[in-house]
Amino acid sequence: MGKVMLEVRNLKTKYVTRFHEDVYAVDGVSFAIEEGKSLGIAGESGCGKSTLALSMMGYYFPPLHYMSGDIIIDGQNISGMDPDTVRKTILGSEIAYIPQAAMNALNPTQKIIRFLEDVIHAHDPKKSKKEIREMAEARFAEVGLPLEALDKHAVELSGGMKQRTVIAVSTILNPKVLIADEPSSALDVTSQKLVIKMMRELMEKGHVKSMLFITHELPLLYNVTDDIMVMYAGQIVEKGSAKEMVFDPVHPYSHGLMGSILVPEEGTRGHKLAAIPGAPPNLKRPPDGCRFAERCKYATADCRYTSIPEKPFGDGRMYRCVKSLDELKEVYSHE
Amino acid sequence: MKNTIRQVFHSPKFVGGFIIFVAILLTMIIYPLFNPGNPLQQVSVGTFARPGTYISLYDATKAESNTLRLPDAEDKRVAASLSDEDRVAMVEYFTAMGIDISELDTSDTEALLQMWDDNYDPSVRPKGMTSAKVNYYKRLNNALQDLKGGDTIIIAEEGEDGALAESKTITTTDYVRTGAVANVKTLPLGTDNFGRDVLKELVSATGTSIMIGMIAGVVATLIGLTFGLLAGYLGGFVDDFIMFITNIFTVIPGFVLLILITYSIGQEQRGAAVVATVIGLTGWTWTARSVRSQVISLRNRDHVNLSKLSGHSLLRIILTDILPYIASYVVMAFILQVSSGILAEAQLSMLGLGPQTTKVPTLGLMMNWAMLYSAHTNGSWWAYFPVILVITLISFSLNLMNTGLDQVFNPTLRD
Amino acid sequence: MKGYRKYFGKKIFWFILTFIAAVILNFILPRLMPADPVASITGKLAGGNTDAKAVAAIYERYQEEFGTNLPMYQQFLKFCKNAIHGNFGLSFSQYPRAVSDIISSAIGWTVALQLPAILVGWLLGNLLGALAAYIRKGFDKVLLPVSLFLSNVPAFGMAVILLVLFAVKWKIAPISGGYAFDMIPHLSWDFVKSVISHYQLPFWSIVLVSIGGQAVGMRSMSIYELNADYVKYARFLGIKDRKIVGYVFRNAMLPQVTGLALSIGTMVGGALVAEIIFSYPGLGSTMYSAVTSADYPLISATTLIITVMVLIVTFLLDIIYGFIDPRVKAAQFE
Repeated sequence: MGKVMLEVRNLKTKYVTRFHEDVYAVDGVSFAIEEGKSLGIAGESGCGKSTLALSMMGYYFPPLHYMSGDIIIDGQNISGMDPDTVRKTILGSEIAYIPQAAMNALNPTQKIIRFLEDVIHAHDPKKSKKEIREMAEARFAEVGLPLEALDKHAVELSGGMKQRTVIAVSTILNPKVLIADEPSSALDVTSQKLVIKMMRELMEKGHVKSMLFITHELPLLYNVTDDIMVMYAGQIVEKGSAKEMVFDPVHPYSHGLMGSILVPEEGTRGHKLAAIPGAPPNLKRPPDGCRFAERCKYATADCRYTSIPEKPFGDGRMYRCVKSLDELKEVYSHE
Repeated sequence: MKNTIRQVFHSPKFVGGFIIFVAILLTMIIYPLFNPGNPLQQVSVGTFARPGTYISLYDATKAESNTLRLPDAEDKRVAASLSDEDRVAMVEYFTAMGIDISELDTSDTEALLQMWDDNYDPSVRPKGMTSAKVNYYKRLNNALQDLKGGDTIIIAEEGEDGALAESKTITTTDYVRTGAVANVKTLPLGTDNFGRDVLKELVSATGTSIMIGMIAGVVATLIGLTFGLLAGYLGGFVDDFIMFITNIFTVIPGFVLLILITYSIGQEQRGAAVVATVIGLTGWTWTARSVRSQVISLRNRDHVNLSKLSGHSLLRIILTDILPYIASYVVMAFILQVSSGILAEAQLSMLGLGPQTTKVPTLGLMMNWAMLYSAHTNGSWWAYFPVILVITLISFSLNLMNTGLDQVFNPTLRD
Repeated sequence: MKGYRKYFGKKIFWFILTFIAAVILNFILPRLMPADPVASITGKLAGGNTDAKAVAAIYERYQEEFGTNLPMYQQFLKFCKNAIHGNFGLSFSQYPRAVSDIISSAIGWTVALQLPAILVGWLLGNLLGALAAYIRKGFDKVLLPVSLFLSNVPAFGMAVILLVLFAVKWKIAPISGGYAFDMIPHLSWDFVKSVISHYQLPFWSIVLVSIGGQAVGMRSMSIYELNADYVKYARFLGIKDRKIVGYVFRNAMLPQVTGLALSIGTMVGGALVAEIIFSYPGLGSTMYSAVTSADYPLISATTLIITVMVLIVTFLLDIIYGFIDPRVKAAQFE
C-alpha cells in the first residue's frame, strides 16, 4: 500500500441560499487516495460532485459553508486551519484544481505570465521573475504549448490552448493532489483524449502525486482512473476499483448507470443518465431513508424509512443499500 | 407566468419602486377630487405667496370673537415683530453700554426684552454712537412699549354720508375661531409666479408628465420592438440596414434631435402629446438593440425551428414563439423609456421648447417658470423644490422597479 | 496589428458615416416640417409689426440667407460649404455678430466645464460602484439606494439645489456667470480666481449627477465579474483576494469606457441644461438665449457643434478602449 496523499473523513458542507435555507450538498463523504493513484467520482449533475471538489480544498466562501469532517493532505489536517493559512500554504501548492469551464478560467485581460507570477508569488513572494519564467517555460514545453503563449492574453488563445494552459498553471507548483472537475466536457473527443493523456503523463513524471477526476461521462473514468466512486444526492452510494465498478456494480443506482456503459453507442452517451427516470431528492430536507428510493425499481417500504450505513465488502469496496449482496444479485439475475 | 409575477413581487427593490410609483399615481387621481378646478387658475395677486393657511382678514373682523387671555401671547407678538436686525442692534447697544452679554441668547425674546428694560436709558448716549443710531434705539424702544402696552385697533366703516364711523374695536385679547371665518384657504405649497396654487398645479403637472412619459415610452418601445424583431429575426440585409440606422441614432445625441424637431414644430403646434411623440421618436435605439440581441439568441431554438417547419406565418412565430420570451426585456426597456421621457420633457421645457404653455402644466414647465421668475434666488423654494423632488421620485421609483426586474430576470446579478 | 487596423478602420468608417448623417439631419429636420421655417421665423421676428412691406422685406432677407428659394440639393451644398468654412451666418438676436463668433466664445467654457466634470464623475462613480460590489453587506445596502436616488436627480435639479444652498443660503459661492460680472476677461490672478470660484457649483452639480449612474452600472458589472469563473479559479490557486479584486475592477472598468461613450450624449444634454441655471457662458446658455429669442441660425449651429463634439468624444473613447482592452483585439480575429 502506497502513502495516503488525501484522506477525507465524514465531510459535511452546505450551501446557504439567499433565503437563508440550508442545502446539504455534501453529506458525510469519506474516502482516501494513495500516492500515484487516481480516483473518479461519477454522478448526475446536481449530485454534489462539484461541491465535493470545492469542499475538499478547505477554502470556503459564501454560499458554501463547512460543517464538519476532516480533510487530510499527506498527513496534514487542513479542515481546522484558518483560511489565510490554507490559502497561502495549501491551495495551488498542495492541492490544485482544474475547473469545469477552462474556457473562462483565465482572466481575459491578463497576460498568462503575469498570472503565473501572481500564482507563484502568492506562495513564495521571493521568487524572481526570471525563475518563474524558467519554471513556466519548462512546464509549457511539457504540455506541448508554444512558449509565445506565455506573453499572450487568455482571449488570444484557442480553446484547446486555454485548456492546456489551465493544466500547466494548475500544476506549476507540483501539487500532491490534483482535482479535475470535468476538465474535458467542453472539448471534442480528440482533445478530450489529449487532455487526459497529458494529465496522466504529469502524474507519471511525478509532478502530480495523485488525481481526482469528476465527471458525468462514465467511459471516460474507465479509461483514466484506478478507482471509481458513485455519488448520489450528496452521499457516496458505491465505491470500488474501476474494473469492479464497471463489470460488477452492486448498488441499484450504479447498476443503472453502468449498465449502459458496455454499449457505448455514439450519440446516446449524453442521454444515458436520464435513462433512470425521476429526479434526485430536495437536499434542503433530505429523506431519512435511502435517498435513491423514489427512483429505485427494487425499492420496498423499508428503504424509505430506515437510514442506511455504508457497507464495506470485498477488497476495500463499499455500497449503501438496505439489501444484502445476495439479494441484489438475485434481483439483477431476473432481468 | 404567475410564478414570475410572484417572484417579481418578492424583490424588495421592485416592491419599493412600485409602492412609490403607485402612491404618486393615487395622489394624482385622488387629490383633484378634494380640490377640483382648473390648475392654471390664478388664485393670488402677485407672485410667490408663501405656503400656509390664509384667513380672510375681512371675514375675520366680521366674525364673532371670544376673549382669550393667554400668558405667552404678548411675548409671541413681540417676538414676531422683532426682526433679526433689531435683535443684533440690541446686542450692539448692550455692548456699547459695557454690559455683560455672555449669557444672553438672542433668540430668547423674553430674556432679551428683560435685559432691554433693565438697561435701556434714553438719556444716556454711549460713546461714539451717532445720533442716527440713538434715534433708532428710541424708535425701537417706543415700538416695543406700544406692542406691550396693548393698543386697540379701531375698525371704522364709511357711513352713508361718507363719514367714518367706528363699528368695532379689536383688542389684543380678541380671538376668532378659524371655523367661524367664512373664507379660509390652505395653500400647502403657496403660489407660483403667476399666483397659481402650486400643489394643485403640481398634481396636474405630474399627471401630464407621466402621460408624456407613457406616450414617449409606448412610441419608443413600439419602434424599437419592431426594428429589433425584424433585424434579429430576418437577419441579412434587413438586419444590416436597421443596425446602420440604429448605430447612427445611438451616437447622435437624442437631445439635439429633440431640440431641432421641437423648435421646427413651433410653439403653436407643440401640445403635450406632440412633444411626447417626438421624445419617443428619438429614444428607441436602446430597445431596438436589446430586442435584437435577444431575438438572435432565440431564433435558432428548437421551438422556433419547429414552428418554422410547421409552416407558421412570420407574425405567428413572432407573437407566440418569440415575444413571450423577450417580454421581460421589453417591459424593462419600456420602464426606462418612461423615466427618460419625463426627464427629456423637463429638459426641453427648461430650454423653452416644452409643450405650449397656456394649456396644461408639466413638471418641466413649472420648473421653467420658477427659474424665469428667479424663485431660486428669491427664496421661494416651494415653487421649484417640490417639482425637482417629484421628478426625482418618479424616475427613482421607475429605475428601482427596473433594477428589481433585472435581478429577477438576470440571476447573475442576484445578491 | 492586423486586428487593430481592422478595428480602427471600422471605427473610422462609422465615425464618418455618422458624421454625414448628423450633418444631413441637422440640415433636413427643420426643413422637413410642414411649416415654412422662414415664414415662422419672420412671424416671430416681425412680432406686432403690421407693416406688410417690412414683413415682406424681412421674409426675403431670410429666404436669401437660408437659400430656401433654391432647390433642396443646392441648399444642402450651400449649407455644407458654409459649415466647412465655419460660416453659420449672422445671429438674429445679437445682430450683427457672426454665429461662429458667438459659438467660439462659448465652446471653450462648455468643454472646460463638462469634460472634466463628466470624467471626474465617471471615475468617482466607478470607484464607489466597485466598492459597493466588493463590500456588499451594509455599505452596499446604503450606498446603492443613495446612488440610485442621486442618479435620478435631474442635472438641472441638482444645479438648483446646489445653487440655493451654497450661493443663496450660505453665500460661499457666486450665483451665476463664468466670472465676476464686473470683470473683463484677461490673464490675471484675480480673474483666474473668479473663474475658479464660479466653476465650482456647475462642476460639482454635473459630477454629483453622473456619479450615481456610473456607480450603479459599475456595481452590477463588478458583481457580474466577481461571479466569473476566473475569480473562483484564481482563488483556488491561492491568490490573495486583494489581487483578485484588482483583476475584477480592471475587467469591469474597461467596458465602462464604452458605457461612457454611449451615454455621453445623454449626459451632455443634461449638463447643457444645468448651464442655464448658472447662466454659465457656455453652449447651453447660448442655446437657451437662442431659443428664447428665436435666433434660428444660432440654434442650428449650436446643435451641429454639440453633435460634432459628442461624435468626436465618442470616437476617441472607442479608440482608447480598443487599445486598453485586449478582449477587443481578440474579438477582431474571430
